[in-house]
Amino acid sequence: MSVSSVKEEQGKIVIALEGDIDLENAGEVRKALLANLKQKKDLLIDLSAVTYIDSSGIASLVEGLQVARKQKNELSLVSVSIRARRVLELARLDKVFTIHADVAAALAAQP
Amino acid sequence: MSGNTADKPGTTDSGTDSDSGALNLAASLARSFAASLNVDATVGQALGNVIQLLETEAGSLFLLDDSDTTLVCRASVGPVRIDGLQVPTGQGIVGRVVAEDRLVVVENAYEDKNFFKAADEKSGFVTRSILCAPMRVGDKLIGAVQVLNKRSGKPFDGEHGQDANMLQVMANAAALAISNARLADQLLEQERIKRELELASEIQRSLLPAEDDDLPICGINRPIREVSGDFYDYFELPDGTIAFALGDVSGKGMNAALLMAKTASLFRCLGKTIRDPARLLSILNREICETTSRGMFVTMVAGLYEPATGLLRFANAGHLPPLIKFPDHLYETVMPDAPPLGILKDTHFVDHELNLKGGLFVAFSDGLTEFRYGEEELGVEGLNQLLEYAHHGPLRQRLNMVLAELDQGGWQAKDDLTLLAIDDQSAGKAWQREHPSEMAVPPEGDFLFGLSFPADPSRLKLMRPALEAAAKACRFGEDEIQDLVLAAGEAIENIMVHAYGGQSKGEITLAVHRLPDGIMLRLRDFAPKIDTGKIEPRPLDELRPGGLGTHFIRAIMDDASFIPLPDGEGNLLELVKRRRPAESDQSDRDEADNKGGN
Repeated sequence: MSVSSVKEEQGKIVIALEGDIDLENAGEVRKALLANLKQKKDLLIDLSAVTYIDSSGIASLVEGLQVARKQKNELSLVSVSIRARRVLELARLDKVFTIHADVAAALAAQP
Repeated sequence: MSGNTADKPGTTDSGTDSDSGALNLAASLARSFAASLNVDATVGQALGNVIQLLETEAGSLFLLDDSDTTLVCRASVGPVRIDGLQVPTGQGIVGRVVAEDRLVVVENAYEDKNFFKAADEKSGFVTRSILCAPMRVGDKLIGAVQVLNKRSGKPFDGEHGQDANMLQVMANAAALAISNARLADQLLEQERIKRELELASEIQRSLLPAEDDDLPICGINRPIREVSGDFYDYFELPDGTIAFALGDVSGKGMNAALLMAKTASLFRCLGKTIRDPARLLSILNREICETTSRGMFVTMVAGLYEPATGLLRFANAGHLPPLIKFPDHLYETVMPDAPPLGILKDTHFVDHELNLKGGLFVAFSDGLTEFRYGEEELGVEGLNQLLEYAHHGPLRQRLNMVLAELDQGGWQAKDDLTLLAIDDQSAGKAWQREHPSEMAVPPEGDFLFGLSFPADPSRLKLMRPALEAAAKACRFGEDEIQDLVLAAGEAIENIMVHAYGGQSKGEITLAVHRLPDGIMLRLRDFAPKIDTGKIEPRPLDELRPGGLGTHFIRAIMDDASFIPLPDGEGNLLELVKRRRPAESDQSDRDEADNKGGN
């Protein structure tokens, strides 16, 4: 399972991803993001349990970000593992996404 | 005894004109002697000069033979030719001169009891007076020169007279010249022997098999002298089986080399028809027992190896047990169960059979394991460790590395060094045969693994642990390993999505090769040819999903290129990543990339 949990905290939807995310399951991630964005709420994507992510996983995150921005919602990443951060850096997306240390920090941050 | 000292050059105190005349003559003689490097010519010339100078009727020159107990006449002038006459030291006038190491004047020969009359009686020559001087080089007596009868009819003047002085000076000059000529002869002889040894060495080397890097077997023989008592041989039989042998002849030098040549020739001849190592050794043993001189024997390992299956059969005649090294880094040996060849005619030899399973079989001479390495001798365990250390690259290079490492210790070999190794490649052979394009790698690389899988994304996660392990085996750092796994995954996804159009159908093969400084992956698909010109990493400032994979590959790998294949045979992508020398290089590179991207 690439999407381990979806829950709502203080009006934001927290989606936790886990395991390896590649071409096989990036579609599930994409679907989960787009489905939750339909509620027009900000999304926090928890990447702490992601052991591997490749360009197709990153592409799903990018697509989610684009949809969120269009509908004036926030899509932020939290608890980004070293590995995931390296891949974001390679894609030069580490400055494009808003990244928080963890869920609590994201909730405390002013939009 | 006073005469004795007066005879020696340099100790005469009466510097007369005639003395200096003799010295001048001696000096010019020595010069002309020096030009002649032939002993017989020098001896003849010396005697002629003495007779001319002292104006005598006859003369002869004797040299001590090798035993130093007999004088042999090497030249004679006058009516009596006594060339070849042998006189024991102490007998006759000449014998006495040498025995007592002093000049002798005999005024009337027939009154001297030492005079040897036989020659006169035979020839009719009448010897009246004799002057005989020892010939000396430094402290070493080499013979004597005697002159008979002054032409003037007068007797020779006394022991301290002019004749005696002149003869002694001349005798010493002649002695020096003869000694020089002898040295020159010895040098020539040594030179001749050296040339013959070089020829023998060349012939011996020609008995070793020609280097063939296509065969999984390789040998090295490094003799400490020109010729070796060790040998190895191998040759391919018509069905691809390789016959091989390594032997060590007891003793060193030419006799060992000749027995080596015989054994090697017999092996090459018998090995072509006899497909049973034990029986081959048994025939060789009988042959050597029948014809070889006593006390010489040959220790030998002979066998057959099938490169296609890894099967190896060998027998051992009293030789050090070969080292059999399996890929799991363990090694074992099989103790010899029969005595060397050439000892017992009815020896029974035993065949041993095993499968190398991708391992290494190394036969060697005791010169190798007895080589001084560090504090002690190398030993079999030491050899195993060196082979472990030299695990990389083609077999010949690995064996050379072992010897180079030994040489580093600064110790001289005490014996011939001989090694014969079989590197079994049968494991993975089938896959390699079926995937020739993926297998083509630089010669310094070695194949780690290859696999085929359907172009289905569910297979990606199966690939990653294998790639991770391979990258680890190529000594990449942890970050580089993760990057490499990412880049390889992206390349495979590109094939799945672009070459095969995301149909989850079609086959992909991956071959992983270790390079000395990194790793090489070769990815092959069987889809229609892709237009490589269209593959471009997308501009990064454009925020859209997809197209990132190619960018990752370019950012991570040092080289990513398509190898052209004939139409209809799919696409072959080659990815190379080299180890970073240091961490700082990595951040420099990222910075440079950032600038380029902006």
